[in-house]
Amino acid sequence: MSLSLENIVKRYKSETVLDGVSLDVARGETLVLFGPSGAGKTVLLRLIAGVIDPDEGRIAIGGQDMTGVEPEDRGLGMAFQNFALFPHMDARKNIAAPLTARRMDKASMAETVSRVARMLKIEHVLHHKPKELSNGQKQRTSLARALAAAPDVLLLDDPLRNVDAKLRFEMRLELPRLLKSQGATVIYVTQDYKEAMALGDTIAVLDAGQIHQIGTPEDIYLRPATVEIARLFGDPVINLLDVTPQMVDGRVQAMLSGVAVPLGAAFEQAVGRDCTLGIRAEALKFVPADTAGAIPVTIETEAPLNEKTITLALTRNGREVMISRPATQEAPSMGVAHVLPDPSSLHLFERATGRRIVGAAKATVPQGALQ
Amino acid sequence: MSDTIRSTRRPRRFRVSRRFLPYLLSLPALLTCIGILIPFGTAIIYSLQRYRLSQPWNRQFNWGKNYVDFFYDPNFWNTVKVSMTYAFTAVTLQLLLGLGIALLLQKRTMFNNFVSIMLLMPLMTAPVLASLMWKLMTNPGFGILSHMASLIGLQDFRWGSDPKTALLTVVIVDIWVYTPFIMILLLAGLRSLPKQPFEAAALDGVPRLFVFWRITLPMLMPFLLTATLFRVIESIQQFDIIYAMTQGGPGNTLMVFQVEAYLNFFQATNVGRSAALLLILWAITYVLSSIFIKNWLRLREKQRGEA
Amino acid sequence: MDTTGPVERVLRGIAISLVILFFMFPIFWILLMSFQTNETILRVPPSMVFEPTLQNYRALITGRLETQTSTLEIRFMSNLYNSFFLSATSVAVGLLLGVPAAYAFARLKFRGSEDIAFTLLSFRFAPPLLVLLPLTIYFQQLGLSNTYGGLIWVYQLIVLPLILWIVRGYFEDIPADVEYAYRIAGHDFWATFWKVSLPLAMPGIAAAGLLAFIFAWNNFIFALVLASADKQPVTVGALAFVTASGIQYGQIAAGIVLSITPTFLLAILAQRYLVEGLSLGAVKG
Repeated sequence: MSLSLENIVKRYKSETVLDGVSLDVARGETLVLFGPSGAGKTVLLRLIAGVIDPDEGRIAIGGQDMTGVEPEDRGLGMAFQNFALFPHMDARKNIAAPLTARRMDKASMAETVSRVARMLKIEHVLHHKPKELSNGQKQRTSLARALAAAPDVLLLDDPLRNVDAKLRFEMRLELPRLLKSQGATVIYVTQDYKEAMALGDTIAVLDAGQIHQIGTPEDIYLRPATVEIARLFGDPVINLLDVTPQMVDGRVQAMLSGVAVPLGAAFEQAVGRDCTLGIRAEALKFVPADTAGAIPVTIETEAPLNEKTITLALTRNGREVMISRPATQEAPSMGVAHVLPDPSSLHLFERATGRRIVGAAKATVPQGALQ
Repeated sequence: MSDTIRSTRRPRRFRVSRRFLPYLLSLPALLTCIGILIPFGTAIIYSLQRYRLSQPWNRQFNWGKNYVDFFYDPNFWNTVKVSMTYAFTAVTLQLLLGLGIALLLQKRTMFNNFVSIMLLMPLMTAPVLASLMWKLMTNPGFGILSHMASLIGLQDFRWGSDPKTALLTVVIVDIWVYTPFIMILLLAGLRSLPKQPFEAAALDGVPRLFVFWRITLPMLMPFLLTATLFRVIESIQQFDIIYAMTQGGPGNTLMVFQVEAYLNFFQATNVGRSAALLLILWAITYVLSSIFIKNWLRLREKQRGEA
Repeated sequence: MDTTGPVERVLRGIAISLVILFFMFPIFWILLMSFQTNETILRVPPSMVFEPTLQNYRALITGRLETQTSTLEIRFMSNLYNSFFLSATSVAVGLLLGVPAAYAFARLKFRGSEDIAFTLLSFRFAPPLLVLLPLTIYFQQLGLSNTYGGLIWVYQLIVLPLILWIVRGYFEDIPADVEYAYRIAGHDFWATFWKVSLPLAMPGIAAAGLLAFIFAWNNFIFALVLASADKQPVTVGALAFVTASGIQYGQIAAGIVLSITPTFLLAILAQRYLVEGLSLGAVKG
């Protein structure tokens, strides 16, 4: 079933939580709704589920207008961030809840419950009440409940938020396969950009009640529409430096710590405007001091992070920058060093509005970005 | 598969639009209460009338004369005085006693919990029956308390039937019944207080009396206030204990508002005066209860937040 | 508090003993009286040594009082029955009306809901006679005077605010998502209310019911004004006892014991919720 939202507005008292949100999700597609907490993601899911009503706008599922359709008639499955298991029912009854509503007979109900439980590896705890389950088991039970009736539309509200890091990592690998096997249209809410990139066919970035960008994971990572999105996507956070690009000898360049950094012809329209230059940590490379365009920095500290190492350094005018490199790669760990930005992965935003200034960029997401 | 599931969905039994649902759910309760609001309106009308049950033909509006008359009516002022004295004495003593007992039982031990449950028994006794119990104990003929009074040299101590000691007697019964109420609220309050300030104070060797005045009491304030207002509102309207003990007597020593109004209505059949009296009482309790509700609500929110 | 010296401990012990003496003695003494004949009760000085007798209880239960001169009929058992019937039915009606309303106030915030909830609460604090006196006249006109139905209706004045405010708190404590989850799973509002909200609020509903029963049982003024002899609960009946001629003191005591025992037992049962109930849901025990 396809899903479409048209200009959804939701207000609580005087506060506008959602301000004209429109979205289209094709049948079988997974849309990740990404945004910081308080962006309105959960409210949006509740509107789609029908437990609250929008003040304006229209929601359609499979082309059918859902205005006035009660949640129980929308044929959805939903998993909640806090699991929202029924405390007075054991895991089996929890999972069977969508099936009892559909008046399934006892035998096929038992069969369905154990199939879903097997898929999520919780067969051995089906007789436990929620308070006897570990967080991971609760999370799987709530997913199983959402999947049990094989709904056409699946709403997953940050289901990995309240589980530990190890399980989150496992589930991040497992979930895409699981979701694809269901063939359902999925809306997945998260504030973790790695999760978003791992799971989404499409990512919609929601902030302060508005959609700021919709695109493929690559789109969002490589061509963030705003400084804010660039900051949210990426770990460590993208380096942001104030620049005013100039045209010198027919080439666009920006001055960083007294060094002219070439920006490429695509940024021509930025010449003379106050901009914010975004350089991802992995787009900075340590180079010998005599390399053309190398920027001198003073290394402050270094932190190994799984397969990569992050170096925190200061530029000459005291701005912090972070440099990321594969852990295997040697690099200076103190004193003065030189770094060279990769001109093909620079981002330029207008300083006043934070909007991206169109420019060329790399076509693939670097390996390290998702680890 | 999902299509087959959808088609077998059962038909809805009965649906109500989301807008009307809350009204549907609360309407029966509201209607029941509206039925009770009507007499309230009637009481206002009565209070503005000259209305005696014994002289129904004489019934007519006298627009507030009932109220104006109160100014020159020593009985009315006696009622005000007795009600206030009763409420003030009873609540003050209960508060002191209740706080004291709560502090004694503060520690969570088996014994303390047992005692606190035991102390609830008077509170669970119907006030009328409590009066009756004390009446039996203060009977001049065989009452154990009368006997004890004579043992300590108080010959012919008549308790409730002597105007000098009648108030004392009913106040004692009120204390007996309601001190546990204050005690149990304050005990819950004391036990819900955060531990750190007390531990810090103990570590610094702060004197215990100082801790009590500067930490315990201020933190207990919302509980104290709620318990006190609760009791003031109820004891200013006290009827059961006084009616059962002396019916407002001897003479008019214990003519509190509701007893006076009751006797006005059923004995003197002066409906107008009775209603006016009750409305004055209502005005007093309304002011108190709006203060109470505000404080009570704050306490409720706070306790919910912590839960 | 572990630094208490021996002097303080002794003082504490004395204080607690005095407290227990003051609050327990009347109950103890009445209990003793209820097993005595008039002869032993009237002894001077009073003594705790006596031959216990069950004749007071027997007289109350059979309803026949044998005195030297005559046989007296007493309706104490019917008072006891009235108390049971009035309290139980009032609570049942109160729950039926109050629980859905409590849910509406807790969950489905609607226009004016807070005002209405507070108005209901303020009933709890209004002088009961203000409503009762006009009601006697209305009840006569409506044919409700001295009927169980009329009394049960008026008892809602005590029962409803209590149920409403306690149960409301319990409904508020259920996470909204749990209810949403059941709706989304395909169950309608009523099924969700019945299968999720009610079971989860059950402890609160039970507590509110028990407390409401105790309050209804202990009520005096409503029945005093609105009920005549055959509908009177024990609170009114016991008082009438005192003035009845030929009654023996031991029988009054036995009547008191029989009347307060049910509330004591319920109080022990509802002990965990008493604080919450007595503060109308503001303080958790």
